Amino acid sequence: MFDRDVWQEIFNTIKKNKLRTFLTGFSVGWAIFILVMLLASVNGMQNGFYTQFNDDANNSIFVRSGVTSKAYGGFEADRRIQFKDDDIEYIKASFPKDIEYISGRYRASTTARYKSETGSYSVQAVAPDHQMIEKTLMMSGRYINEADYINKAKVAVIGRKVAEDLFKKEDPIGKFVEFNGLPFRVIGVFTDEGDDNAERVIYAPMTTYQRIYGNTNLLNSIALTYNPNYDLTEALEFSDRLEILMKRRHAVHPDDQAAIGVWNYAQAFDDISKFTAVLRFIGIGVGFLILIAGIVGIGNIMVFTIKERTKEIGIRKALGAKPSQIVNLVILESVFITAISGFVGLLFAWIILAIIGPTIQSPAFTNPNVSLGVVVTATIILIVAGVLAGLLPAMKAAKVKPIVALSDK
Amino acid sequence: MIEIKDLHKSYRMGSNSLHVLKGINFSVEDGELVAIMGSSGSGKSTLLNILGMLDGADSGEYNLDGVPIKDLNETKAAQYRNKFLGFIFQSFNLINYKTAAENVALPLYYQKVGRKERQDKSIAYLEKVGLKNWAHHLPSELSGGQKQRVAIARALAAEPKVLLADEPTGALDSKTSYEVMDLIQKINDEGNTILVVTHEPDIAEMCKRIVHLKDGVIVEDKKVEQVRAEQYV
Repeated sequence: MFDRDVWQEIFNTIKKNKLRTFLTGFSVGWAIFILVMLLASVNGMQNGFYTQFNDDANNSIFVRSGVTSKAYGGFEADRRIQFKDDDIEYIKASFPKDIEYISGRYRASTTARYKSETGSYSVQAVAPDHQMIEKTLMMSGRYINEADYINKAKVAVIGRKVAEDLFKKEDPIGKFVEFNGLPFRVIGVFTDEGDDNAERVIYAPMTTYQRIYGNTNLLNSIALTYNPNYDLTEALEFSDRLEILMKRRHAVHPDDQAAIGVWNYAQAFDDISKFTAVLRFIGIGVGFLILIAGIVGIGNIMVFTIKERTKEIGIRKALGAKPSQIVNLVILESVFITAISGFVGLLFAWIILAIIGPTIQSPAFTNPNVSLGVVVTATIILIVAGVLAGLLPAMKAAKVKPIVALSDK
Repeated sequence: MIEIKDLHKSYRMGSNSLHVLKGINFSVEDGELVAIMGSSGSGKSTLLNILGMLDGADSGEYNLDGVPIKDLNETKAAQYRNKFLGFIFQSFNLINYKTAAENVALPLYYQKVGRKERQDKSIAYLEKVGLKNWAHHLPSELSGGQKQRVAIARALAAEPKVLLADEPTGALDSKTSYEVMDLIQKINDEGNTILVVTHEPDIAEMCKRIVHLKDGVIVEDKKVEQVRAEQYV
């Protein structure tokens, strides 16, 4: 294989048919280029999804309530399910080992005023645990703590955008802001990567809001995180148990998703992984189909080359070349053309990705790249492709009869 | 060296069968220089192809240096050709992108001789045919006679038992033809067995024995007084 004579021959044929070799090689290089770009795009999409989701804790589960869609347990349909504080206690007591953080959520909208600035925002009334569940990042000040919660303190944690709107250049910490006329002291400002709307939210203690709305113990939804050591199966199994339990507690039909919905990040992660796996599969499929066109092209050029070299092959056979030596020569040439063109395509794709990849920072598409695995796979594909492209022409070459090749006097 | 008994060969041309060799009996001793003559269609080239293992016989026996040549697969035939035979063709059949030295070295390559030894040997054989100074020229830079001498050097390089020459002077003018024949005679003088297929009587006269083929049978087989080509050069 690493024989100088063999390479001399390969280079000679390539030199004789420069344009033809280039055009055929181009199709293979182009195919690999597209294959790598497609795979990199899928990677970029996956990265985008993951960064978006990583905003929240990966092990979080949201339980929300609604209106029953099915009659069940003696109740008619269209019954409103309402979570209360004791639901939280109940979950805590039922799953002492599974729960990491838990918080009720109560959503209200408010008109906030500070000096002459007013704005309309949504208030999320939560427990201190909620910071961990939502992974809220504090820019300044602090989050709601247990003391605020127990004392039903009128304190607020405001989003960066809220702070900009109301306080302009002032430091909001310690200032009083009016929510629907009631003064709340700002104790902290939080930020949220990427998403401006998430920064137009105000957090306040759950207990405070429940008192404002008439000493209720009502919740809109429950957010919690489970034991972070759980793997996907354990997480899904836990969220199933939670769903069954909550539905039983509120006499909801087990299949009634409208009444009680349990939304698990693990499930979403699983879905995204499956989705990107399908995309990747499609990418590889399309890349392969294009590559096949390239392989046929290489096969074609090899057939031509052999036709032109029939006489030479005949001479070689008369001088004692074995059929296997002829086959090796043709296949090596085919692999050589395929591999070189493929690597050029790979290199181009890699350069383009290295240049433009880091500059793309859209939420759904982050840092498209190719892993070493893709490069290794592409290399193997190329060599196999080269062998396949050369195989038929090589067999044809091996069948050349020296007598026929030499007879044209 | 060569022993042939009752050799038959026909070619299928569509639905017809063309009987080309109709029972050839013939043997060649070590060191002979035999001319095989005949008009076109007499079967002389077919005979040479069978002797050269480029084609198989339908029936009959063929022994080369005591080895029965029968039912060879391609690989075996390639090995035997490489080991036993050297070919000289009318159209030289040099590989046009290889230099004279590389062409001569080719059979050695297929004998798996090392690169250095191949180079030394090919230069030595080119020197023998008087083309040492042309060793690194491409065939396109050589005259017809020079090309044929390179081809002869290539045939000799593998040190075969028998040299088979198919119309070696067919593409050359008479002066160059005599030069080539002179070379062939000298190689024969050194003890090499050579078969020359030709239809030119003057070339045949330069061999030591003339075998006449007509319509697939040997009609005449006679020893002749060799005319030395040297005097015409």
